[in-house]
Amino acid sequence: MTIAIPATQAPRKFGIDVSKPVLYGFAAVLCVLIVLPLSWLLIYSLTDAAGHVTLGNFYRLFTESSFYDPLVTTFIIATSSAIICCAVAAPMGWLVARTDLPFSGVIRALVTASFVTPPFLGAIAWEVLAAPNSGLLNKIFRNVTGAEQDVHLFNIYSIEGIIFVISCYTFPYVFVLVANSLDRTPGELEDASSILGGGRWYTARRVTIPLVLPALLAGALVAFLQAMTLFGSPAILALPAGFHTMTTKIWSLFQYPPKPELAAAASLPLLVLTIILLRAESMILGRRGYSVVGGKYGAPRLIPLHRLRWVAFIVCLLVLMLPVFLPYAALFNAAFSPVATTFLTFQNATLHNIEFVLFELSAASLALKNTVILGGATATVGTVIAVVIAYVTARHAVAGWRALGFLATAPIAIPGIVLGVGLFLSYTRPPFVLYGTLWILLIAFVTIALPSAYQQLQAAFRTIHPELEDASRILGATRLRSLWQITAPLLRTGVIATWCFIFVGVMRELSAAIILFTSETKVISVLIYDLNESGDLGAIAVIGIGMLIITFSVVIAVNRIPGFGTVRFRT
Amino acid sequence: MASVELKGLTKRYGTIAVVDDVSLHIEHGHLVCLLGPSGCGKTTTLRLIAGFVEPSEGEIRVGDRLISSPARTLPPEQRNMSMIFQSYALWPHMTVTENIVYGLKLRKMSRDVIGTKLDAILATTKLAPLAERYPGELSGGQQQRVALARALIVEPETLLLDEPLSNLDANLREEMRFEVRRLHDAYRYTTVYVTHDQSEAMTTADLICVMNLGKIEQSGTPEDIYDRPRSEFVARFIGSSNVIKGKGVDATHVDFCGVALRCTGEKIVAGAQTAVSIRPHDITITAKPPSQAENVVPATVVRQVFLGDSRDYMVEVKDGTQLRTVTATEDNIPQGSQVWLHLPGDRCRALSG
Repeated sequence: MTIAIPATQAPRKFGIDVSKPVLYGFAAVLCVLIVLPLSWLLIYSLTDAAGHVTLGNFYRLFTESSFYDPLVTTFIIATSSAIICCAVAAPMGWLVARTDLPFSGVIRALVTASFVTPPFLGAIAWEVLAAPNSGLLNKIFRNVTGAEQDVHLFNIYSIEGIIFVISCYTFPYVFVLVANSLDRTPGELEDASSILGGGRWYTARRVTIPLVLPALLAGALVAFLQAMTLFGSPAILALPAGFHTMTTKIWSLFQYPPKPELAAAASLPLLVLTIILLRAESMILGRRGYSVVGGKYGAPRLIPLHRLRWVAFIVCLLVLMLPVFLPYAALFNAAFSPVATTFLTFQNATLHNIEFVLFELSAASLALKNTVILGGATATVGTVIAVVIAYVTARHAVAGWRALGFLATAPIAIPGIVLGVGLFLSYTRPPFVLYGTLWILLIAFVTIALPSAYQQLQAAFRTIHPELEDASRILGATRLRSLWQITAPLLRTGVIATWCFIFVGVMRELSAAIILFTSETKVISVLIYDLNESGDLGAIAVIGIGMLIITFSVVIAVNRIPGFGTVRFRT
Repeated sequence: MASVELKGLTKRYGTIAVVDDVSLHIEHGHLVCLLGPSGCGKTTTLRLIAGFVEPSEGEIRVGDRLISSPARTLPPEQRNMSMIFQSYALWPHMTVTENIVYGLKLRKMSRDVIGTKLDAILATTKLAPLAERYPGELSGGQQQRVALARALIVEPETLLLDEPLSNLDANLREEMRFEVRRLHDAYRYTTVYVTHDQSEAMTTADLICVMNLGKIEQSGTPEDIYDRPRSEFVARFIGSSNVIKGKGVDATHVDFCGVALRCTGEKIVAGAQTAVSIRPHDITITAKPPSQAENVVPATVVRQVFLGDSRDYMVEVKDGTQLRTVTATEDNIPQGSQVWLHLPGDRCRALSG
């Protein structure tokens, strides 16, 4: 594959023209990051173990039940999650954006909290809460009803359990899209319908709902996509229950004996579906423009709920108990009680788990070291690449800037686990044997972080008028000096925020890391996954709470920066 | 001497020529206005002069120094120019003082010299009390003066202004027009001023270049441009103008509704369709046929509006052409009346094209 760069002849300038080398250099880097793993993915999927060209891998994928069943399971999970997310998020988004719901800011903050909670951590917390025997909720149920020891109310190790947990941490995507769309839809549009004689329900049916529908539809697609490409939650909940989803199946193909060509073939449908869904999303959202046509509008008019205000508020809180309060309480319980699934009391409270993680768990210090190194390196490399590309595309600084912008956003369409497989295939062979080193993880994390970093920084550049640089140059400063004295100080907060976001993102990344780690290159997220296998829930809780504290600090700090883009993590 | 010379200057994006074969000579110390509607290429021309854009063809010289050509383009920072931007482009992270002395610091001037120059320019632009404020804390007019101060303090050979007044409200704009001219007269830099506002151009410029579709349609003094427009575009763009059409009779007459109208201006070709412009206030309107018969056309009043200090008539002649005329308030002729228009021969400008 080659990347087409428009061949315009830039005029020769005085001194050295650095724009061409910069363009080609970064285009080459992006090609290595994206095109190389995808090419190997395609090649492997079309060859058998002996290296002959074949369609056999795909044939097995769609005929053998060990492959076919996970496909169906994934489809069921993704569809159900998308429907549940819409059913929960759309009314909540409307309540928050359009009614006089009390403390709507608190509700928004809690949704953000579930947004930034790593889904695998949520899944583990729900294990603590709703495992059939030891789950805290089941224990409460048995205590209250006096039921037998083998009776349980909830079983999180089931397809329903997976759908539930995935929905808990996916509905914020739909919520944000719907609430933003409602925030931007002026209330006058509804007033105009009322004044023409439209009743409340008629107006809702003919005006409000059609205006929000595109956002809701796009939200459903995003939710489907998230549920489909997630690795952590299904791996934690489906494997004990004895079934696979697509992502866990791909992962299992790397267990001994590894079958990389089948893994490659199984990855391609995920990749193709992701690309199609993202195209569909941008098409749907692209037409949304009609909701903000012309004129000046006041703030949307809030609909009074009267006595239902507090009922609505309590319902919202109850719903948010599921992704936030209950799991956080479970983690807190697990961190400070001697056994994760024993209720914490003042008598049995202990700091043993913290001690264990800090001083006894040898894997923890290695994983922490690796995560800090990788987080720092990824954040630095990713920010530098994103700054340069965002500058080039925002200022149209070189011919071919469009191609660079496209390449920088392309990884958004590559699910983490697919990227993991592609990188594994690319870097386990000469001349680039990077498997087993931190380098391969660095490449994976940079690729994953790039699209959102690029988008955030491009938004930041857009707030800096190009004439600010021009003014510096006409007064006698060179391009570099203008960048240093004018652009850099204005961009500083945006760059720092992006750096922190990437760092936090690396901490949360599991689906690519799970394919690429070796015993020497474990990171925190993989460690948590391992600890879950060995049942060390107390240690997970301690690490998890630490992760949450760092994440919230970054999100809160960044939200104070005015005009900065919304939080968008990948899972 | 810093005269500026554009020769055959062309800038193409793809196949579209945004600036198309523009040639212009600007004397040292003159203020030239590039005037035209949005998209006419005036800002691109300015950015070509500044060096932000490289020409596709042609060249730019300052004095006898070649600064832009398709092969060699001197970067903006080496041109000893200064520019005032439409957005002012004040750096929001620097105070007024820091903004203004930026150029001097780049020129590595001593602290004393910078201090003296700063005090002088702060006094001239009446900014002294605001010196330690940030741009975000200033009003539009104050920001504008900071932009002026920042551009002028480096004593450039050439000063470029890109629609510098378009973000101000009407009163302030009128005041700043004279301010720009006053500062220009005080410092005498070669100045290129881009605007779409004809009265701004009229009040400030020594020379106005009316631009359209990337070309200079006409250049001349404000009087020249206003009184002697050469094309329909210029006639319509500068002030309001009636443009009437008829066939050329001979070198000095155009047939208009059966009347051979004596015209001046561009060459008239007998038998060719010719456009003629005449300003509304140059037409006299009478209720009775005037005694002299030259350039008199009968018409009907379609509507008339009382504007306080004048009356505005719309009249229609035999072939359906409508003309606007402005008269004194006492000439009150009711709607529907038969009138006679006198179009003075020296005010009827035959146009080219």
